[in-house]
Amino acid sequence: MELNTIKDAFDRVAKKQKLSCSKTQEVIDEVGREIEQAMAKMQSTDNGSGCSDQKSILLELKTKLNEMAPMNQLEGSQRELNVGLVKYAKILEKCFNPDISKAYRNVDFDIHIVNQIIASHFYRQGLFDLGDCFISEANEPDATALKSPFLEMYGILEAMRSRDLEPALNWASKQSERLLQNGSSLELKLHQLQFVEILQKGSQNEALQYARTYLAPFASVHKVEIQKLMACLLWAGRLDQSPYAEFMSPTHWERLAEELTQQFCSLLGQSYESPLSVAIAAGIQGLPTLLKLASVMAAKQQEWQAMKQLPVPVDLGREFQFHSIFVCPVLREQGSDENPPMLMPCGHVLSKQSIAKLSKSSTRPFKCPYCPLEATVGQCRQLHF
Amino acid sequence: MDMAVESPSTLGNGDSPAAPTASTPAAAAVAAAAAASPPSSRMLQLAESLKLEHQFLRVPLEHFKKTIRAHHRCAEKEVSAVLSSVAEVADRSDAMSRDDAVNHLSSLVSRLQGLKRKLEEGSRAENLQAQRCRARLDHLDSIDVENLTEWSNTRLKRILVDYMLRMSYYDTAKKLAETSNIQDLVDIDVFLEAKKVIDSLQNKEVGPALAWCAENKSRLKKSKSKLEFQLRLQEFIELVRADNNLRAIQYARKYLAPWGATYMKELQRVMATLAFRSNTECPAYKVLFEPMQWDYLVEQFKQEFCRLFGMTLEPLLNIYLQAGLSALKTPFCFEEGCTKEDPLSQEGFRKLAAPLPFSKQHHSKLVCYITKELMDTENPPLVLPNGYVYSTKALEEMASKNDGRVTCPRTGETFNISELVKAYIS
Ligand SMILES: [Zn+2]
Repeated sequence: MELNTIKDAFDRVAKKQKLSCSKTQEVIDEVGREIEQAMAKMQSTDNGSGCSDQKSILLELKTKLNEMAPMNQLEGSQRELNVGLVKYAKILEKCFNPDISKAYRNVDFDIHIVNQIIASHFYRQGLFDLGDCFISEANEPDATALKSPFLEMYGILEAMRSRDLEPALNWASKQSERLLQNGSSLELKLHQLQFVEILQKGSQNEALQYARTYLAPFASVHKVEIQKLMACLLWAGRLDQSPYAEFMSPTHWERLAEELTQQFCSLLGQSYESPLSVAIAAGIQGLPTLLKLASVMAAKQQEWQAMKQLPVPVDLGREFQFHSIFVCPVLREQGSDENPPMLMPCGHVLSKQSIAKLSKSSTRPFKCPYCPLEATVGQCRQLHF
Repeated sequence: MDMAVESPSTLGNGDSPAAPTASTPAAAAVAAAAAASPPSSRMLQLAESLKLEHQFLRVPLEHFKKTIRAHHRCAEKEVSAVLSSVAEVADRSDAMSRDDAVNHLSSLVSRLQGLKRKLEEGSRAENLQAQRCRARLDHLDSIDVENLTEWSNTRLKRILVDYMLRMSYYDTAKKLAETSNIQDLVDIDVFLEAKKVIDSLQNKEVGPALAWCAENKSRLKKSKSKLEFQLRLQEFIELVRADNNLRAIQYARKYLAPWGATYMKELQRVMATLAFRSNTECPAYKVLFEPMQWDYLVEQFKQEFCRLFGMTLEPLLNIYLQAGLSALKTPFCFEEGCTKEDPLSQEGFRKLAAPLPFSKQHHSKLVCYITKELMDTENPPLVLPNGYVYSTKALEEMASKNDGRVTCPRTGETFNISELVKAYIS
């Protein structure tokens, strides 16, 4: 899109608007000046013989103003501005999609559901004041479910930003088992970080105590890491000059905050990304295709409102790929429980129905449509993605 | 305590201080996709998404036009009044003393000066609105692959403010715009004009709504708007309700009759209420006296208002949400093991998506169960002897940690990496 041309077009409009403003001012000034001149003339004539003079001055003023045609002048500059405005609006209409609701299906979203989604979005973004304001204004008192868990999470993260690991460690030890089930070593990593902090403050003894209490239980599984950490004891107070200086890198804090966020959301049964952000982002990527489709189908409004599946694929980026979808390259149909993907000995994959067709209902060997190799139904295996 | 305001949250915010680089999986994926797909197609996609922003530019333009028109009308009215006043003095000057004439002229001069001051103020307002139009163009121009995460966050906020304004959640709208510093990118002032009318309609007053119709008369006429007629009908009904029959008939003659040619049927129906009165049980007329008629007027007004400013009739949020849910909707979203990252794993989104069509795919898209990454030629799918498929990356990493053995996370069976075969999926 040529945004620069559009900007130029608008700048021309803005210029005309300024011009029109000053033109209007000029016209008003001119009219005012004429009237003032007439007044001055009237005042300078001598009182006694004034009558006919006064009349002629006033008539002269009337004629002058008529000749000046200020109304026409006002209209003229305005007309020019209007032409510019109309032209600019047309450019916008041409360069942009003037109606993005063309692909909208006439279904009413349940306002309460939408409001709850929005309230959850605010809370999980840490926008607690905004969430509260929204809930009271929209009168959705039940939409606060995510408030207190995310208050806790942001409290932990806030403390981490000021280098206080206490709340994070408390949470991790409470969730210890579930974290392990998730395959996360977050708890150990937090203890490591705390250990390095203590060490950096120079207290070898305290660090040793800490290691014995909190790191030792992890020793069997995380042998290498623990050995490295214990070696750090030799450099207490001057870790920055040691081979282990890397342990002090602030990126550990950042990465850990992120991992904590991830685990926190996961244990809450929540996604890491705000689902509202994801759905809207998908909509922005998908809508152009839907609008094109809607304009092609414009004549078939009924079909558009009633269809069960979109007639064309809407390509979304890989960040929106949450499920494995197998499309049989022969049938061009999505796989299903009844028609699952099958692996042939050559490594190519077709749907079960395709293979049934190629093998004439399993009666004979068949050639793979993608390579010269032959296969029998018995050699094919069902796949699970 | 909006922590995220002082220090943006780590959630969905790539610009968070705790995570300065593309921190979130989706942001990383966006970056990866940007790197992987040729930049031209990426830019093409951005350009396509910008084309959706018509309303973003159109609304401030309409507002700008409206202000210009109002100022112009005011100038015309005043100047024309001054001119005819001069003509009048000139014609009656015989009957006027000099002092009277001079005083009269001097009052006209000060009237012009007043107009000038008013227009100067008006011109400042126009300039501000022109700046806003320009700022929006600049904002669109600022989108780039590098700042995409931040730009998209702002876009979501714009969409949310739009939703709040349309739903009359003005405080939330203002708060969100202020805390995000996007006042120039949202249309709060435009909607505050509508608020006055909506509030009065909710108080069962039609005055401000009629004034609004008068202000926009020619444009409403062009779009064949029925709003004024409907407002007049309601006023008539209120007179009937108050048993003010004579006045009701006078009112109908003056304000309803001119619409007779266009809306004869409705006119007749409403006139019939004179015979039935407000306590009628006849359903066709009873409904006209119900308070929900006022809600209906609010809806009608909102629609006309949106149309006049070139806005969609639906909130942007609903439009994008509907498109997104349709594009994301697959039968797998509703299965037991649906990943939490899919919005459609949540009950609320599922309900919203229920009446929407499923998406369609022409090509296979496989996501590794373990890493959630796409399985493609760079990270091809490997088949375990039990038929389960995972990405090469995931299985190789597992094997490297376990002396060449891999465990199927779904069945618990273990295999040697040498037993795996590649699958070719076209
Ligand atoms: Zn083959």
